[in-house]
Amino acid sequence: MTDRYPGYDVLAKRWTQSWNDQTRAVIDARLATPREPRFFTAAEWLTLGAVCDGIMPQPRDRPPVPLPAYVDLKLREGLLDGYRYAAMPPQDEAWRRGLAALDEEAVTAHGEAFHALSPERRDSLLGRMQKGELTGEAWGDMPCAMFFAHRVIPDITHAYYAHPEAWNEIGFGGPASPRGYVRMALDRRDPWEAAEAKPGEELRARRDNDHVG
Amino acid sequence: MATRAGRRLNRASGVIAASVLADSAIEHYRGSFHNKVMFAPLVSSALALAAGLHGAGDRRPAPHRARDTAYAAAALIGIVGTGFHLYNVGKKPGGLSFQNLFYSAPIGAPAALILSGMLGFLAERVRDNTPGTAPTIAGLPAGRVVAAGTAAGLLGTVAEAGLLHLRGAYHDPFMFLPVTVPPIAAALIGEAAIENARKPRGFTRWWLRLTVLLGFAGSGFHVLGVARNMGGWRNWRQNVLNGPPIPAPPSFTGLALAGLAALSLLEDRRR
Repeated sequence: MTDRYPGYDVLAKRWTQSWNDQTRAVIDARLATPREPRFFTAAEWLTLGAVCDGIMPQPRDRPPVPLPAYVDLKLREGLLDGYRYAAMPPQDEAWRRGLAALDEEAVTAHGEAFHALSPERRDSLLGRMQKGELTGEAWGDMPCAMFFAHRVIPDITHAYYAHPEAWNEIGFGGPASPRGYVRMALDRRDPWEAAEAKPGEELRARRDNDHVG
Repeated sequence: MATRAGRRLNRASGVIAASVLADSAIEHYRGSFHNKVMFAPLVSSALALAAGLHGAGDRRPAPHRARDTAYAAAALIGIVGTGFHLYNVGKKPGGLSFQNLFYSAPIGAPAALILSGMLGFLAERVRDNTPGTAPTIAGLPAGRVVAAGTAAGLLGTVAEAGLLHLRGAYHDPFMFLPVTVPPIAAALIGEAAIENARKPRGFTRWWLRLTVLLGFAGSGFHVLGVARNMGGWRNWRQNVLNGPPIPAPPSFTGLALAGLAALSLLEDRRR
């Protein structure tokens, strides 16, 4: 993966004016989220892990963002979206049913649990889910395409971009509290924002990013 | 007499130049000096400030060519800057809307540089009189000309403060001061410019002194305003830029000092 924000580490803002006790507490709690299921069963957890790997593949050269743990947290804490499609059950029910149905589809098609399939077969099943082609009993009245579009994608991608590792990749500054932003116009940068490396200016970006705070 | 008034006008011009120097430095730093032209007001106001300091201490009656050049440049760059800021506002979607007047380049800020140049120019013209005669500018009594310029400058600055305090929703009652005290000062000194009667103007003098103080007090209020933003002064890198502009209010001080110089010219003429 190209390093668009060389040397940028959002966690370097920790003890600067950009963050305060509240910010630190929120980020610490997020980083300390246990990497084990507390909402899901062991079987669902394995399936969820395989789905996350398919939806949001991560580089091998760094610890992964704990996507299943964040989805688990959302469901255990009942962190809702604020709206729900009428065709969809509540989020915890949707996830349990969706993961079970996906596993059932895997067994039906290939004779193995979803997480035990090769990545190609998993992707193929996920693709058929996206297109609404999975119609096994276990889905009940929940359209698999809606489960894909309105649970799988948002919950997993939101989980990914809730983690400082993802912020470093996209040059995001993390919580804008207590310090917000001053230079709002397009392509302007506050000194406490990540510097993007334009071609030929990687060294300058790295130097700027050493001073982000 | 003319020299003393000239020095006071040099000083008044210098106060506004100092305000413009600090204000444009902060605001254009905020704008990342995106356009190199944004350095121009820093250079020009620094020169006008130097001219003001030099002139304030210069007891020789004659005008000074370098000072005159600095003042003319300040006025010119102020005019060009106002044009730039107008263009900046106009090219934004919505054009001359309140949104853009509030948040784009402030139109009134470069105008302060024009005022500094104008007062400095008047200072040199007041000096440019035969000692012992009543000073005139372009055939008019110098006191009336300076008084008229001061009144106009005050009203323009009031408009700027009024607009930006409206943006701030007058959330603090003290924010009404710059739209109440200086307009009265402008009316009083404007009346002195029009009314030729040679009468004592004690009230006008005191009101102008109040306006002098108001300019400094405004900076004090703005320091408190910065402190009230989240993170306060410890987060100065954001709040000095985002909060109320600390160097802006002394423009009123400079104009009121010019008004006082005008009053002295008018009163001296009586004797």
